[in-house]
This record gives sequence, C-alpha cells and structure tokens, in this order.
Amino acid sequence: MTGSLAASNLSVRYETPHGAVHALRHVDIEAHPGEVIGIVGESGCGKSTLVTALANLLPANARIDGSISYNGVDLAKLDAHHQRLLRGDEIALVGQDPMTAFNPVLTIGDQLVDFQHHRKDLGRAQKRARIAAMLGRVGIADAERRMNSYPHELSGGMRQRVAIAAALLTDPGLLIADEPTTALDVTMEAQIIHLLRELRRDYNGIIIVVSHHLGVIAELCDRVYVMYAGEVVEGGEVDAIFHDARHPYTQALLACDPARFHEKLDRLPTIPGSLPNLTQPPSGCVYAPRCDRAFAPCVSVAPPLVKLSVSHMARCHAVTP
Amino acid sequence: MSPLLAIDDLSVTFARSGLLSRLINPFPLPSFNVIDGVTLSLMPGETLGLVGESGSGKTTLARTILGLVRAAAGRITFEGRNVATPADFRAMRRRSAMMFQDPVASLSPRLRIGALLTEPQIIQGLPMPDRRAAAKALLALVGLPASFVDRFPHELSGGQARRVGVARALAMKPHLLLADEPTAGLDVSVQGDVLNLIGELKRELGFAAMIVTHNLAMIRHVSDRLAIMYLGRLVETGPTQDVFSAPLHPYTATLIQSEPIPDPRRRSQNPAVTGEIPSVFRRPSGCEFHTRCPIARDRCKTEAPAYRPMGTDRMVRCHFPLVTGGQEREAFSRASANHRGN
Ligand SMILES: Nc1ncnc2c1ncn2[C@@H]1O[C@H](COP(=O)(O)OP(=O)(O)OP(=O)(O)O)[C@@H](O)[C@H]1O
Ligand SMILES: Nc1ncnc2c1ncn2[C@@H]1O[C@H](COP(=O)(O)OP(=O)(O)O)[C@@H](O)[C@H]1O
Ligand code: SF4
Ligand code: SF4
Ligand SMILES: [Mg+2]
Ligand SMILES: [Mg+2]
Repeated sequence: MTGSLAASNLSVRYETPHGAVHALRHVDIEAHPGEVIGIVGESGCGKSTLVTALANLLPANARIDGSISYNGVDLAKLDAHHQRLLRGDEIALVGQDPMTAFNPVLTIGDQLVDFQHHRKDLGRAQKRARIAAMLGRVGIADAERRMNSYPHELSGGMRQRVAIAAALLTDPGLLIADEPTTALDVTMEAQIIHLLRELRRDYNGIIIVVSHHLGVIAELCDRVYVMYAGEVVEGGEVDAIFHDARHPYTQALLACDPARFHEKLDRLPTIPGSLPNLTQPPSGCVYAPRCDRAFAPCVSVAPPLVKLSVSHMARCHAVTP
Repeated sequence: MSPLLAIDDLSVTFARSGLLSRLINPFPLPSFNVIDGVTLSLMPGETLGLVGESGSGKTTLARTILGLVRAAAGRITFEGRNVATPADFRAMRRRSAMMFQDPVASLSPRLRIGALLTEPQIIQGLPMPDRRAAAKALLALVGLPASFVDRFPHELSGGQARRVGVARALAMKPHLLLADEPTAGLDVSVQGDVLNLIGELKRELGFAAMIVTHNLAMIRHVSDRLAIMYLGRLVETGPTQDVFSAPLHPYTATLIQSEPIPDPRRRSQNPAVTGEIPSVFRRPSGCEFHTRCPIARDRCKTEAPAYRPMGTDRMVRCHFPLVTGGQEREAFSRASANHRGN
C-alpha cells in the first residue's frame, strides 16, 4: 500500500565485549498513512532500537535480521545511496532531548534552511518563507524573530516545537517522535500533545510516537504496540489496549500507573521481579519469570502470536481468541 | 504539636552572572529572587509534596533548607531551634538527609556501595566497629542483596541506585528526609517500589519527609500535604486530597488538568493552559501567573495578590481563588470547557 510501513520478523542485536545484547526479537509491526502508532513499554525494552532500525539509524555495533519495507519496497534491497535518500526524504525523527537536535552556534533559521537541502528547487528566500509558515504552524509566535534566535534562547517546549517543524519541513512520509514530551513539564507536554494531534489532521503520513508514559499514548495514538524485553507482546487499537488488554504484562503495566487511581493508595501497585538479561533471553516466554499466570509450557516454549480480532493480537500461551 | 521544620519568609537570591547570560544581556543586571518569601512548615512524621514545573525553585528551596545554599532573608526553625549559623546547619544536617535529583551522579563513582553507605557516619565521626556488617544491614533494610556491598554505582539499575540512595539517606536515622525527584526517570513499576519502600520505612522509623517533584499522579498517593510553587513563590498549600478535589489556585487547577490520563475515552479536548512558562529572571508584573491564567482580569496585571489563608488549613495566592460554588470556579470550568470527555 502506498506510504505504508511494515517490519516483519525484525531482530536487532548489539555486539558488545560482554556478548550480544538481543535488543529486539522477531518483531512484526505495520503502519499506514494517516495513522498515529504508539510504541509503549518500560525503559530498556527496545523502543528506541525499534524506531532507529526503522529510520535506518542504528549504531555500527548493531546487527539486523528480518525485513523492513516502506511503500512496498524492501529497504534491505536498496543500495546505501538509495537508503540514504529515503531516510532523508521520507523518514524524520524527533528525539527526546530537543537541545541535542540543534547546533548551538547556528541560528534556528539557518539550521532550518539546511534541513531543506533536498529541495533543490527552492531558493533561500523561499526556504525561509516555508520556515516562517511552519513555525507559525507549530505555534511559535513571532516566527520571523525566532528564526534569528539561537537554540539556548528557547525554552524546552519551544525547542521541541522547532524540532517538530524541522522534521515536517522535509515533507516526510513517516514522522517518528521518540519520547517527545519526556523532557517537558506537564503544561508544555499537554501543549505538544495537542500540537501533534492538530498536525495529524492535515498531515497524511504515518506518525509513530514512542513513550513509556501510558497517558501520552492514550491521548495521542490510534493503534498501540506494547513491548517487553525486546518483543512486541500485544498490539491493537488504542481502545482495546486500554480497555481490553489481554497480555498479562500489558495488564500489569496498566495496573501500575498511579494516574489511574484518584483515591489515595497506601501502597502503589508494582510488578514484582525485574527485566530478564538481554544477553541471554529466556527460551520460553520473556515474561514468564514475572507472570502470575505462567504455567508449564511458558518456561520452555516461546508463545505464539494469537490473533484476537482483525487488529488485536497478543503473544501469550494463556490467551484465546 | 509544634512543627519539626518551620520556614518563615525565606528568600534566595542569585546574581545572573554566567558568561552565557552576560552575552545574551550585556547590561549589568541586579540579582533575582529565585525563592521569594516562602513560608512553610512540616509536622513530625508528615509527608509534604513540593510541586512545581522545572525551574520553579524546588531544588533550590530544598538545598537552602539544609544550608547548602545561602538564604538572602528569612528564618528556618528546626526542632524548635533557630537555624542560622554554619554550626546550626551542620547540627541540623546530622538529623536530616537529602536524596538528590540524580542518584547515580550523586554517588561517588570510585567508591563501592559498601563504602558509600557508611561514608556519612564515618564523616560524622560516629563509631562503627564493622563497616561491612553495617552496610549489609542497610542493604537489607532497602531490600537489596548483601552482595551489593562490592558493586560500583554504575553497575546498578536506576531503581537499585534509588534504593541505595534511600539506604544512604536513612543510615543516619534522620528526623527529616528531603527527597528531590526520588523517582524521576523510573518506570511506573519501579517508581512504585521506591515509594512503597520510603512509605514503609517512614512508618517504621517515623521521620518526616519533603518530596520534591513535578509528578502529580505519584505525589497524590504519597503525600499528606501539598505545596505548589510557581516562579519561586508558593501559590497554594493544603491537604493533598483537598487540593486535588478542589484546587483553589488557577495554576494548581491547570496542572491537574494537564496531566495526561491513561484512558483514550477521556482525551483532553484543549490544552488547559497555553503560553510559555516565564523565567524567574523576568517575572511578569502583578500576579505572575496572569500571562497564562485562563481567568485573569485587569487587576491581576498590576496588583500582586497576597498569600492568604482560606479556611483552617489552606493558603492561596490569588485575587480570585476557585472557591467551591463560587463564580471564579465556574468561570474557570467554562474557560476550560469541554476539556475532557467522560
Ligand atoms: N547556582 C545558581 N546560579 C544561578 N541561578 C541558579 C542557580 N541554581 C539554580 N538557578 C536558577 O534558579 C531557578 C530555580 O532552579 P531549581 O534548580 O531550584 O529549579 P527546580 O524547581 O528544582 O527545577 P527542576 O524541576 O528542573 O529540577 C532556575 O531558574 C535556575 O536556573
Ligand atoms: N549501542 C548499543 N550497544 C549495546 N547495547 C545497546 C545499545 N543501544 C541500546 N542497547 C541496549 O538495548 C536494549 C534496548 O535499548 P533501547 O532500544 O534504547 O530501549 P528503550 O528505548 O525502550 O529504553 C537495552 O538493554 C540497551 O541497554
Ligand atoms: S505465555 Fe505464559 S508466562 Fe508468558 S505472559 Fe502468557 S501466561 Fe504469562
Ligand atoms: S490573581 Fe488573577 S491572574 Fe493570578 S491566578 Fe488569580 S485570577 Fe489568575
Ligand atoms: Mg529510548
Ligand atoms: Mg530540581
């Protein structure tokens, strides 16, 4: 399908002196134009690894298996030159810390002009006009003056808006936002959530939002993939994930969020145990050591991906359609 | 009962002297009140949540209470005694403990956990016949294996490092614990672990705690009272449940409404507040919140509201507080109308 993205049986391992870290294992995801996809899970579960693999930006010690296709084209089959072209033109990544996205010694305007280097058809004045319009679009008042500012002169919330504007200037088919609000205060976070939601109305590409914050995912996304220890353990429409979660990990994760409880709790709910060591992932279910529903096959046999409805699936021995 | 800690009209001033700020603004600038007229008290055994956005002065206030930052004005009373001289602060620090915002950075990287845990007592010159045994007892207290005495800080996960931070803070059997963002950067499950641990130890050991955070969803479960800060001033204090169910200050109300809710059926319709957070170095005139307040009126732009009591146990700094049943409350809900579905 035009503009669609799919990863199938995608695995990534990082070679380190202490052995290979199996950061991503047999992940299947898909995304279609106009959709906002959420990737949620605890720190270290592989969210950033997944999206950096999609953006073809993995570090040199990463080894990748499986396939990623965009627009029906298998990215692995493209030569390096075309991969780079695709990355620059079609895929834009907005990171967690908006400060690191910018060069501290250049003005915002100069950097945003450089971001449009692929638009050989536009002159500098036209590029600056596009920038001014885009900055206005992301809610920066006084865009002309802001273009002459340096990154440190902007607040965190403003820098994140500029980073989003920069990403959109390349007209990407896929916009990836990795923890876009984690570094922001709650009032600024709410403003960025609303900005992204407004943008999707007239942006016809795919937006992927990565967050460990369930509230942000619930506010923004159409479909959600839940990750645990390098695997996608459940995927579905946002409503199904938040109101009809079937995987024991998703259920436990939702139950832990203090934002769900308005009455004061004496003890906050937790998930006993800790993440498995990703240098030696367990042979059965990755969640088995912490799962209160684990039974015999869970420790030895990897659970199948069970299809619960057209769009809802969970990787668990205990779920049935 | 008299308070364990009382802060009266405390102010802290920083000169804006960094090279960067001189480049941005070459004119010689006067100094600025980063903390301005803060009055606050903490009862024995109580947990107070100090809430505010980044840069509002929370860390600075906590550090000033311990004498790590010098106050420009105001009084601090601890266990009934005035704390003013460096010797007073040292005595106070012996009976209180601080958990710093970044736990790994605040643990010396070259010391093993065992040494780190017993360092405070050694510095204070307390007798300790068996350091290893004392360290292992502390690790057991916070639920970590004894083998951790030989580990280095970078070999711990985020949650384990916080537990070590808790153990180190409690080693001195403090009467007061100041915890700066004790769960920032932790996953919800690990966050629950660390807070449950602090709660259990509080019940067991009976210390009072001040928890500094901007995480409202968390603080509502672990504090008895809340103090809300905006640009270095308290704008509201009161019992936690009351503040959450009926915030009086419009800023408190916008903070509560801005929290994303983990339920796609109750998405917010509009941001509760727009506009950037101003800087303490350029305070707006009148009420500092008027640039973002949904119910600001003309008076708010020129006249600074006083910090005044409302009822028996609440304080608010606003000309038009959101009293239950009052027209301001109504105006506020209208301004943020349709904010969330049900
Ligand atoms: N040593 C210093 N010299 C000058 N300004 C300072 C100094 N320390 C802090 N500030 C300024 O004082 C204000 C309050 O800072 P503080 O660290 O107390 O905020 P905070 O509420 O703890 O923020 P956060 O939530 O980001 O931790 C900020 O504007 C900060 O830049
Ligand atoms: N460059 C790297 N080299 C080795 N291990 C890495 C590297 N980047 C990430 N990892 C490991 O891969 C796992 C997944 O990391 P990451 O994708 O960053 O998780 P998340 O974004 O969900 O927090 C973690 O165990 C992390 O320590
Ligand atoms: S496969 Fe077994 S251990 Fe894994 S989540 Fe399902 S029930 Fe739990
Ligand atoms: S004094 Fe005015 S501007 Fe300030 S919070 Fe109250 S209503 Fe809003
Ligand atoms: Mg990440
Ligand atoms: Mg701080």
